[in-house]
This record gives sequence, structure tokens and C-alpha cells, in this order.
Amino acid sequence: MSSYEIPDDPPEGFKLVDFARGRPEPTFNTHVGNMYVKRGDKGTRDEFVLAIRVQQNMCNPAGGLHGGMMMTLADLVGTMGGGYIAGLRKFLPTVSMTFDFVAPARVGDWVEGRPELIRQTRTLLFTNIYLTVGEQKILRASSIAKISSGDGTGYTKTEV
Amino acid sequence: MIIPAGFRELTEATGFTAANGPWFEKVEGNRVWRGFRPGPQHANALGIVHGGMLAAFIDAALGSVVYRAIDRRCVTLKLTLEYLTPARVGDWLEATGELLGHDEHVAQVRGRLYGPRHDVLAGLGDFALLRPGRPLRVRS
Repeated sequence: MSSYEIPDDPPEGFKLVDFARGRPEPTFNTHVGNMYVKRGDKGTRDEFVLAIRVQQNMCNPAGGLHGGMMMTLADLVGTMGGGYIAGLRKFLPTVSMTFDFVAPARVGDWVEGRPELIRQTRTLLFTNIYLTVGEQKILRASSIAKISSGDGTGYTKTEV
Repeated sequence: MIIPAGFRELTEATGFTAANGPWFEKVEGNRVWRGFRPGPQHANALGIVHGGMLAAFIDAALGSVVYRAIDRRCVTLKLTLEYLTPARVGDWLEATGELLGHDEHVAQVRGRLYGPRHDVLAGLGDFALLRPGRPLRVRS
């Protein structure tokens, strides 16, 4: 996008996430800005990392990363990342989340989010999520997501 | 866009809020309601409103509840959200809440986000109060 003032310049190993998959209209995940994913060896701290370069249009009036953007990233780390680690290849709707806003992040910071799988049941996935800038934790979150029966796409067909 | 009576657009929005608006507000005495009408840019892959967007919206609404109730600006310390039902693109969504209590430093708020048919989100938040009269520091 042309409004970006800072190059994302992702560190080695990060790839831009293609949320749109050819869909004509941008969804929220593409609208809020670029997100990058890195997948490392199974069982490592970097098994799933979702990251952003903080841009002006992700910030609050005080010039810090907006809490809404932190929560958006953490939500995706919990569902996409938690699901990836659990080996679930379907959409997991969020049931509940708790966020602790530990520290701010600034424009230009590289923010990384990592999930920690707590427990998987037949219908639920419990995950902890940390967002970090370097070694500094900026957000602690915990998430419960629903594991829908079937392939998970039935959810889209439901009249809600 | 049809906006319910009493709501005015938050035109002073910048950054994330401006990029994901427009957001609206209705104030009656020391009570406040926030509203917005989600479009396709607020949806997830399933076509329902993204949980992150709903979280951002209720977070701001609860902060506004604190400000209107006790005239103190604040930042979020902790937020707990229950996703009750999905929210539809195109529906008018509102959020409001009530102050549960506060001391000099922290306020507790309970709130809800709802559509035309049902509650979407329940929220509980702790907000750190900024010093009275201190403007929010704007970084250039």
C-alpha cells in the first residue's frame, strides 16, 4: 500500500501472509496491514511466529501501537498459530480471550506473536499468546477457540 | 450509511481508528454509546466481523465509558472478552458499558457489544487512569 511510510523489511525467514487468496475485496486481515509468518522446526519457540512492522495506520493518537491491533494480531496467533501447532487445518472461531497490556510498541518496531498450546479437547483449543518486541513482552493473552466438527467450513453456510 | 439518531461521527480519529472507521458516539449525561456499521473490510474469511475488530471497538467504547463517567482519560491494562455470537457485516453494532468501581489509578468497567438481534460480545476491563487534565501525549 502506498500509505506505508516505513518499509516492512521482514527479517530472514518471514513470508508475507496471503490472506486474500485471490478474493477481490480485502478482508480485515489484509485491511489492517501486512502480516508475516515464519514457521520453524516442530517443538521450537519459532514453530509458528506471526509478525508485523508497526506502521502509523496501526497506531493510537499517542503514537503507540493501537491495542486493537495488538488484539487482532493475538487473536490470529491464537487461532491460526494454535491451530497450526495442533495440526488442525480449519477455521477456529474464538470463544474467549483475555489480554494484558504489558508495554507499548512504537512505529517502526517489529512485533512478533507466538502461541503456546495449553490443551486441546475434542471441541476446544486453549492457547497462551505473547507479543514481543525483541526480548520485551508487550502483550500477554490467553485464548479459547472452538474446534468445529467436520471440516469447519459449515460455519460459513450457517445463517447467523 | 444510515446512522441512528443521536450518534455523531468521531471525526478526530487518527491512525488505527481512522483506518478502521468510521466510528460513531452518542452521549447522554455521563453515559455513552459507541456505534459502527461493519463493511467487507472488517470481515474475516467467513464473512462475519473479525474478532480483532470487535475487540478494538469494545476496548475504545469501554475507555469512553470511563471518561464520561469520571472525566478521566485512560489506557487499557487488561481486557477479557467473551465472543457470544457472530456479528454480521452491514448490521449496525453498538457497544456500551458501566463503571463498576475505581480508585485514583485504576477503573473497572463491564460492557457489551450488541447487534440488532442479540449480544455479540461481553467485556470486562481494567483501565489505568491518566492524571486529571493531562492531555494524551501525541508523538510527532
